[in-house]
Amino acid sequence: MDALHTLLTVFPAAVLSGVAVALMCSMLGVFVILKRMVFIGAVLSEVAALGLAAAMVLHLPPLAGATVTTLAAAVWISRPFEQGRIPRDAVLGAMFAVAGALSILLSAHTGLGLEEVKALLYGDLVLTRRSDLAAILGVVVPLSLLLFLSHRPILYTFLDRDAARLLGLRTGAWEVFFFSALALVISVAARAAGAMLVFAYLTMPASAALLLSRQLRRVMLLAAIFAVTPTLVGLHAAIAWDLPANQLIVALMALPLLSAGLVRGATALRRASRISDQG
Amino acid sequence: MNDGGSGPIIRLRRVSVGYGAECVLRDITLDIPGGVFLPFVGPNGAGKTTLLRAILGLLPVKAGTIETPFADEPPGYVAQQKAIDPIYPVSVQEIVEMGCWPLRRSRSIRERRALVERQLERFGLLEHAGKTFGELSGGMRQKALLARALVAEPRVIVMDEPTTELDQATQRMVLDTLHAAARGGCTVLIAHHGLDAIVNRAEKVCLVRDGSVRMMPLSEVHF
Repeated sequence: MDALHTLLTVFPAAVLSGVAVALMCSMLGVFVILKRMVFIGAVLSEVAALGLAAAMVLHLPPLAGATVTTLAAAVWISRPFEQGRIPRDAVLGAMFAVAGALSILLSAHTGLGLEEVKALLYGDLVLTRRSDLAAILGVVVPLSLLLFLSHRPILYTFLDRDAARLLGLRTGAWEVFFFSALALVISVAARAAGAMLVFAYLTMPASAALLLSRQLRRVMLLAAIFAVTPTLVGLHAAIAWDLPANQLIVALMALPLLSAGLVRGATALRRASRISDQG
Repeated sequence: MNDGGSGPIIRLRRVSVGYGAECVLRDITLDIPGGVFLPFVGPNGAGKTTLLRAILGLLPVKAGTIETPFADEPPGYVAQQKAIDPIYPVSVQEIVEMGCWPLRRSRSIRERRALVERQLERFGLLEHAGKTFGELSGGMRQKALLARALVAEPRVIVMDEPTTELDQATQRMVLDTLHAAARGGCTVLIAHHGLDAIVNRAEKVCLVRDGSVRMMPLSEVHF
C-alpha cells in the first residue's frame, strides 16, 4: 500500500503518462501489425532518440528535435514503395541502423555519462516530468479523438488500398496522416518511455489481442487492457522493489502475449482433435 | 443500375501504358459504350490487367488520355491478386459495407444496411456475414469482394479474372450476375483468360495481344 501511495502522490506524472502512452500506442499498434509494418515502431523510436540527441547537441528543446526527425521519417516511410526497386523494409532497416548509430555518436558529443545516455535513449517512466506529461497529453488527447473519427477511412486504406482509392478515399493522405500521428506519439513518448518500451507498446498488446479476437473493436479494447494493466502493475512493482520500471513493464506485457499464445494453441488442438474424432 | 446509354462511357485516345521503362501497350484508341458486357481476352502477360488498371486510374499512362466518369461515379472493382490480407479482423459484412463508402452522404444507414443485406443474400453470404474474411474459403472470399463491388450499384464494374478459384457452378452464377447487370444498363469490363465461359454472354470482346487492343465480334476471336 505504501508503494501505491508513493506512486500516486509522488509520481502522478508517471502514472498518467504511462496510461496515456500505453493506450495510444497499443491501439495504433493494432494497425501497425495489420499493415505488417511492425519494424516501423522500432525505427521511429530510434529516430526519436536521434532527434533527442541532436537537439541536445544543438541546444534546442529535446521534444522539438524528436518531433521534427520522427515526422520527417514518417512522411518518407508512408510513400508507396510498391513500384520501387527495394522494399520498404530495406529502407526501414537502413534508417534503424543509421539512427541508432548516430544517436549514440551525438550523445557522446553532449558530454553526458553512460547512465545519462542510457536514460536519454531508453527512458525511465518513473522519472517523467510534468512538462513531459503536458506534451504527452497535448498530443495524445486530440490525436485519439481524430483517430477515432477517422478510423474507418484508415482501415479501408490499409485493408485494400486500390479499392479504397477507387471508392473516392485519398489513400495517400490517410497513410501520411496515420504515420504522422504515430510519429507524433512516439516523439512525445520517447523521452519518458524510451525506445524499447514504446516499441513494446506498439507490438506486444496488439499481438496478444489479435490472437484472442477476430473482431476489430474487441481487438482494440483487449490491446488497451494488455498495455495499461502491465503499466500500472509495473510502475507499482518498480517503486515497491526498486526495479527499472520500463524493463519491468515490458516483461509484464509478455504475460498476456504468452497466455494468448497458449489459449490459441489449445483452441487449435481442441479443434484438430474434434475434426479427427468426426473423421 | 443506371442506364448507361449507348454512347461511349470510357474513351481512350492514343494511350501507351506500362511499368518503369517498359511499355506494355502502345497507342491504344478505344471507345467503350455504356451498358455492355465486355470481356478483355488474350494470352497471359498480354496486358489485360495493365489496361484495366490504366482505365481505373490506378496506373498512370505514359502517353495519351483516358476519359472516364469515375471522379463522380466510383466504379465497382475486384482485383486479380488477393487484395485483402486475411489477418485483418474484419467481417464479411464489414467488407461489403466498405463498398457503400460513396453512399455515406446520399443514403441513410438503414438504406445502406439494406443494400449490404441484399448483396449478402444474392451471393449466399448471409449466414457467413459475421465470419472474418480470413475464415472463408477462396471462393467465398471472391464472392464477398464481388458483393462489395456491386453494393453501391455502380454504373461501371471492372473485374480482373473474377472467376479464378471458383467452382463451375459459382463461376456461372457470377458471370450470369454480371451479365444481368450489363442488361440493366451497367458497363461490365472483365479480364478473362479464356473464351468458353463468356460465349453466349458477350457480343464483342477486346482482344489484347502483342501490345495492341482490338474490339471485335466474339466469333472472330482466335488466340
